[in-house]
Amino acid sequence: MATQSAAPPSPTEDKPQNPASEIVQPSVEDQNDTRTGASGGFSSTSVFVNSEPMREEQVQNAVKFLSHPKVKGSPVMYRRSFLERKGLTKEEIDEAFRRVPDPPQNVSNAQPAGTSQDGQVKPLSNVQPQVPTQIMQPSAAAPAGVISTLTRSRFHWSHALLAVGFLALSGAGTAVLFKKKRDLPRKPTQNQVCNKKQLLLQKTAAAAAADVARASQEMLLSKREEEKYFKELMNLIGMQVQEMKSMSNAIQKLEAMGNLSVCRPGTYWSNLHDYCLRGYAVLATRLVDTSVEARNTHGRTPLTEQDHQVSAKSSRQPNANGNVDFDSYSARSSPPPATVEPSAAPNPKSYMEIMAMVQRGEKPPNIREINDLPPNPNQPLPNPHSAPRAKPWEIGQTQTSYSQVLQSHESTYGLNSNLQDNGFVNQLNGDSSVPWWQKKNVRITEIENEDDLKRGSSGVLTNERPVQRSWVPPQPPPVAMPEAAAAIRQPKKTLSEKQVADDRLVADPSDAIDELQRITKISESGGVVDANGGSSGFSKRFSESGVVDTNGMSSGLYTSEIQEEQEAY
Amino acid sequence: MPVFKTPFNGYAVKFSPFYEHRLAVATAQNFGILGNGRVHVLDLSPAGPISEFAAFDTADAVYDLSWSESHDSLLVAAVADGSVKLYDLSLPPPSNPVRSLHEHTREAHSADYNPVRRDSFITGSWDDTIKLWTIDRPTSVRTFKEHAYCVYSATWNPRHADVFASASGDCTVRIWDVREPGSTMILPAHEFEILSCDWNKYDDCVIATASVDKSIKVWDVRSFRVPLAVLNGHSYAVRKVKFSPHRGSFIASCSYDMTVCLWDYMVEDALIGRYDHHTEFAVGVDMSVLVEGLLASTGWDELVYVWQHGTDPRAP
Repeated sequence: MATQSAAPPSPTEDKPQNPASEIVQPSVEDQNDTRTGASGGFSSTSVFVNSEPMREEQVQNAVKFLSHPKVKGSPVMYRRSFLERKGLTKEEIDEAFRRVPDPPQNVSNAQPAGTSQDGQVKPLSNVQPQVPTQIMQPSAAAPAGVISTLTRSRFHWSHALLAVGFLALSGAGTAVLFKKKRDLPRKPTQNQVCNKKQLLLQKTAAAAAADVARASQEMLLSKREEEKYFKELMNLIGMQVQEMKSMSNAIQKLEAMGNLSVCRPGTYWSNLHDYCLRGYAVLATRLVDTSVEARNTHGRTPLTEQDHQVSAKSSRQPNANGNVDFDSYSARSSPPPATVEPSAAPNPKSYMEIMAMVQRGEKPPNIREINDLPPNPNQPLPNPHSAPRAKPWEIGQTQTSYSQVLQSHESTYGLNSNLQDNGFVNQLNGDSSVPWWQKKNVRITEIENEDDLKRGSSGVLTNERPVQRSWVPPQPPPVAMPEAAAAIRQPKKTLSEKQVADDRLVADPSDAIDELQRITKISESGGVVDANGGSSGFSKRFSESGVVDTNGMSSGLYTSEIQEEQEAY
Repeated sequence: MPVFKTPFNGYAVKFSPFYEHRLAVATAQNFGILGNGRVHVLDLSPAGPISEFAAFDTADAVYDLSWSESHDSLLVAAVADGSVKLYDLSLPPPSNPVRSLHEHTREAHSADYNPVRRDSFITGSWDDTIKLWTIDRPTSVRTFKEHAYCVYSATWNPRHADVFASASGDCTVRIWDVREPGSTMILPAHEFEILSCDWNKYDDCVIATASVDKSIKVWDVRSFRVPLAVLNGHSYAVRKVKFSPHRGSFIASCSYDMTVCLWDYMVEDALIGRYDHHTEFAVGVDMSVLVEGLLASTGWDELVYVWQHGTDPRAP
């Protein structure tokens, strides 16, 4: 009941039903909130949105992936697609992309420090005694700075290199400074204290540098591993390109061979066996270059369809997480037909012939030039002859008054309310024979007939009130309100307003009727309704809201097919 | 059970949501590689044979079609030249098509009409996009571009008017809401191309995906990391998957292994029916919304079969 007010744009699918009293205002505010809350508000309540929190581990793996130079060279779309295939959510992918550009800035920041460090270290030997103290601090600061940048983006390998560089420099710096210290003339006490402090600083710097060295070593190791995987990946890609080429050669050979015929059981398996033996076992489903290549071949880009076959055969996709399986790759050159891995479905001979023809640039002979453009592009669209019929899964949800009224209306036409098509099957039922496609459901059909008649009468009785309100006959396409259609497609703002307005119209009078009808239905169907699909309450809301189409179609609810409710469950 | 022979290779079959005896078949010459196409509208007759009510020729292959949910005589066809054509059966063939919407830059591979709002439809294309259209507009309402490869299938949620799912060759299924600028969920459902997806009509959060990896996986979008069920049994890529309009857990599928299978994903031994009537790739399958248990399938063997579940499609 209250469901009508919570119109479709309001993402309240999985909220518990609100009592009727809450109808309009809260939902308006709700929608206000969701509007302002933008996607955040929506995603918190819709069930079709990913509500997982962001997984830091996945994001870090993604950052590693994106930071690789080879990956950086590839188009952004493919990087994104790869991460999506790995199961990362949009938020995680966006976060990873956000993080990856950062290190380059850190690198550029660190480098000037590095060069300045350089510049400072070199003239150290010529510098006055006081200067070392000042230099000392920058040098201590620099490793500290490096450490901080490193902690911010720990796994960046370029940072590793820089860290090593800094390590060396600070090591050299401290060594020089130590030397300088000894060379210094006798100092006042203050200086000695300062020196002690400086010594401490140096020690901590050295310790920090040692840590950095260790971390960078680990990073280097992991990076080497990743590079190894990427190398494998690149190798695979190369091999697969070659396979593609060899495949197209083999196709032609095969076609020349003429073994394949339209598959009959006997030849089917032998052809398949030949097919596999010829080494068509393994190819990747899709690669960046080959797919682009495939889609650019002429005609239909027949290789796209070929991709299906090809991709049907691929044993695995290369992926950068290092799951490449070289052994299985090579071993699969002569697999048995029924492998776990997808294998190519054999094509009929004529298919191969046509493919070959197209690849050669010939056009198959039987193609006609057809002009299939509309003779009158402004041909007005027809008025519907019949009202839309309710879906079986909607039957369990309450159909509103419209449906009842329409149904009674139709039953007065004297048709068997089973079928509305020009009395086509009317004749059949009149012959008391059921079309062959319904033979299985004979029992059900008969029951349904009875129920329809019953319901027709009850429908008339119960719907006095809504009839006077607005029973709308089937409407022609809603050219009348094109802006409404546009509004629907706009973000929730306009949509929710309109929906709320419409909902208000529909809300009150039909609530009581709905309940009555619902109860009627439930009792007539023997209480089966609720078993139909769980969230009948929510579904009801949405089938109704599907009705409250600003186009005035109210089309979602016309039903005369209550019999579908009776299906054997 | 009746059979209809089409001159071209079958690609898709759909029952009309208005008339129990009517169905439409999308066909393509030369296996859809290069050639013309034709849309057949067939009528089942009580006596048995299938007759052709109308046929429309197209310059290029027809890959998919969808009946309008608002107009009993309108049909949307996805054509391989990227156009989307609207046919009106109440007009004679020379007056058809009534619209030709050409925006996709590559083959239009799927078409699906919104069963809730009944005023719009979506088309999926090999140009990686999905477009939203209404029948009264000459141009698309929205374009959804996120997939990294061909979109093979796009289907509306049976209960939520604005939600649809798309299956793509980039191995992901995306769930979209037309009110949102981008996709709202990404399911990395398979390791290989995903050729088809369909929603459970009785549980609007459950979706089935069919892939080149020969399996069908059933997912609950609320906990999409692990599938609810993995249905193995096909020996080649699964081309199309369809949830039953009458039983919440029944799924029909057709595959390049030339069979049509029926599954119950909630049961341990999920395969409950297998039909091997086709002698070529079985490419299209549909279950009637109006007649429980009625199945139709078509394939590259140029045959269209209509039969009741439990009967032999090839029986006379």
